[in-house]
Amino acid sequence: MQKFGNILNSRQSGREAFLRAVQIVNGSSVFEEIILDFSGVEVLTPSFADEFLHLLKDKYQNRIINLENTESATVKEILQSIKNESKRQ
Amino acid sequence: MDYDNFNKFIKGPVIDLREATFCDPWFISMVCLLAIERKNDPKKELLLPVSEDVKNYLKRIHFDIFMKEIGYEKFVRELGNINMVERENTNVYEITHSLASDDFNARLTKIRTMFKNFGMNSQDDINRATVLVSELGNNVFDHNLGLWPTDVRGAIIVGQNYPKLKKIEMVVADSGVGFKKSLQLRNPNLNDVEAIKLGLQGITGRVGENRGNGLKLIQDWTINKFNGIVKIQSGSGLVIVDKDGVRSRTVNKILGTLASFVVIYN
Repeated sequence: MQKFGNILNSRQSGREAFLRAVQIVNGSSVFEEIILDFSGVEVLTPSFADEFLHLLKDKYQNRIINLENTESATVKEILQSIKNESKRQ
Repeated sequence: MDYDNFNKFIKGPVIDLREATFCDPWFISMVCLLAIERKNDPKKELLLPVSEDVKNYLKRIHFDIFMKEIGYEKFVRELGNINMVERENTNVYEITHSLASDDFNARLTKIRTMFKNFGMNSQDDINRATVLVSELGNNVFDHNLGLWPTDVRGAIIVGQNYPKLKKIEMVVADSGVGFKKSLQLRNPNLNDVEAIKLGLQGITGRVGENRGNGLKLIQDWTINKFNGIVKIQSGSGLVIVDKDGVRSRTVNKILGTLASFVVIYN
């Protein structure tokens, strides 16, 4: 994820990042699971995360998406908030 | 900021700041929106404060640069004559006007550094505070896309650090459609206060889209991580949220929205 920047903000950026992520997944020779590695990401906003993750989950509904290195406070708390929101819906 | 006394600064097309004896980011942002609203009025005037301290503050916060940008050059010429060494007061985030979302995004790195330079020690708090500004700015662009009522678009950001109190106030203002119009698609009968309250609950005007978490998170973090205050004025509605709950009232109408948070750090 750091390849998209260490500050991940805005829905537009989340959408662009999703499109690039699809290219990366499509180009993979072995496709078992999707791993999103958040190491190096210092700031994650709800706008980016909401857009990126929902699009990715919609696109790859039957695939496992693993989130790794989510220790940074904003990353951890935003991802938790989106998870809680998804459960409520 | 005394909301009831703000009236004395407005005389139709004239913004008369001569009696202003105190300025903070909320006041400055309010004046910016009032000036945008009057910018095409041939009778517009902007009268600067008499107080030298307030004039110096306006100069420091780059009020003259913003006012020139929106057509008030002749009214702020006096500020141009003030000589100032800006690094002697590093506790301000000068008025910046991001015209587009990309421009705003590019400023976030500097805003993050600003929180550190203001004296925030915790890296987590610096990053959280950056998220707060980001979300307020994102709302400006996301909710006004295709709807801007004037030709002055974008997000106006102003900030002030109070180092002795370990308190930072950030304001993000925009001359956009405001909460009420933004939520009209969902509910056409809302007043301004009701619309702001709904927005703070995560209800969004972008019907059918998965949105609305931003303002809820801003409240949650500001209050629970920073023991702070969220304050939003849109149209004639004012809503203030802190650990004691939600307070609201009707105030003098403005064009667009002022959204602010105050955080206590360390």
